[in-house]
Amino acid sequence: MSIADLAPARKAAAATVTGIAGSDRGETLTCVFAVRGGGEALAASASASACAGYSDAAGAPYLLPLGESGSGLWAVAQDVPAARYAEQALRERLADHTELEAMARMHHEAVSSSAAVGPVVPLPLATLFTDRDRARETLSQQVTRFRAVLDRVRGREEWAVKVYANAAANAEAAAAAAANEGASGTAKATRTTGRVSGSAYLDRVRSRQRDRQARQDAALACAARVDDAIRALAVDAVRRRPHGPDITGRHRPQILNAAYLLDVDRTDEFNAAIASIKAGEAGEAERAPIEIEVSGPWVPYSFVESGGSA
Amino acid sequence: MNRTDLSPVPDYAPGPTTANLADILERVLDKGIVIAGDIKIDLLDIELLTIRLRLFISSVETARKAGIDWWETDPALSSRAARHEAESRKLRERIAQLEEQVGSSEDDAETPRKRRAVGEAQ
Repeated sequence: MSIADLAPARKAAAATVTGIAGSDRGETLTCVFAVRGGGEALAASASASACAGYSDAAGAPYLLPLGESGSGLWAVAQDVPAARYAEQALRERLADHTELEAMARMHHEAVSSSAAVGPVVPLPLATLFTDRDRARETLSQQVTRFRAVLDRVRGREEWAVKVYANAAANAEAAAAAAANEGASGTAKATRTTGRVSGSAYLDRVRSRQRDRQARQDAALACAARVDDAIRALAVDAVRRRPHGPDITGRHRPQILNAAYLLDVDRTDEFNAAIASIKAGEAGEAERAPIEIEVSGPWVPYSFVESGGSA
Repeated sequence: MNRTDLSPVPDYAPGPTTANLADILERVLDKGIVIAGDIKIDLLDIELLTIRLRLFISSVETARKAGIDWWETDPALSSRAARHEAESRKLRERIAQLEEQVGSSEDDAETPRKRRAVGEAQ
């Protein structure tokens, strides 16, 4: 795209931004999804602000210049109806599971699509201001911080890695162990007393517990190996609280919920590492004790906090 | 939205579109740079918290049992814990302070009453 192509677009963008003042101020609030960098040319390109945003808003998202003119920082913002986004309305909506999901997905979509043309600093869901001027004023105070974060995440992406204990493999192992033990336990019991003794029963229970513990330890050790291997490739890493059985399914306990900040050019290495871990774990036993799930790339949501505040 | 419209740099792919809700929520609710907006909604507010609890609390218990406690070293989570700790400490101090004030004003209040009682008796 040449600069000449951009000139009319830039004028149009400037017109939207300055043409705010508006008749319907008071009825709308300004919601900010993310902050991004980029020169005037990038910002003026139609694609830079093209994201769906909230579907219950009258207008589309737009770019709001931050800081001094020519600072090259923009807020990806949208004017949203106050009736649905003012404090009380929002509180009620966010408490509703369906509404929360819809909002979270739309917010995520807006953040992600802004990142299609360069690094962004994602802001949390429902970062709202009474109008564009307030948004601009408040966000402009953080320009240094935003710049630091953009520098930190530029050319990097977030990848999520989750590890689950493989319940199927564990169940098989448990069944096998039980069968084994049952056989030897009964044999022993039969040998000594001719019937299943209390101590044999207790032995069996104890050994079953030991096995369960051993399988759990093995799965945790696998998860730790996965984390170590990926951490070695990553610029930064965070471990989150594993998801509960409501999300994972009761028989698939999540034992690692981690996110890694990776240089884009290490993506292949990352994929190779995951593949080799999967192959390695599978090779150790008939059924791997763990399952690995990878998702990404994500906008580096999990790695923007420490960027400027530290 | 047409995704092809906004991918001049296709390498920087947006987040997975099929991403599950828990993944999205744990990112958009409390990750990202927090800017104090004009609309004050604490995303860790009670109503929301109930939803978060449904997603995560059972796993905390399960995880503790399984010996997984590494998120406790996650600065994002532990700083929140620290913040809550600090807040509740402040509240406790404030309560103690108020109790003291109430106590001393009760003493003050008692004195004139006693005096009046004495006066009436006379």
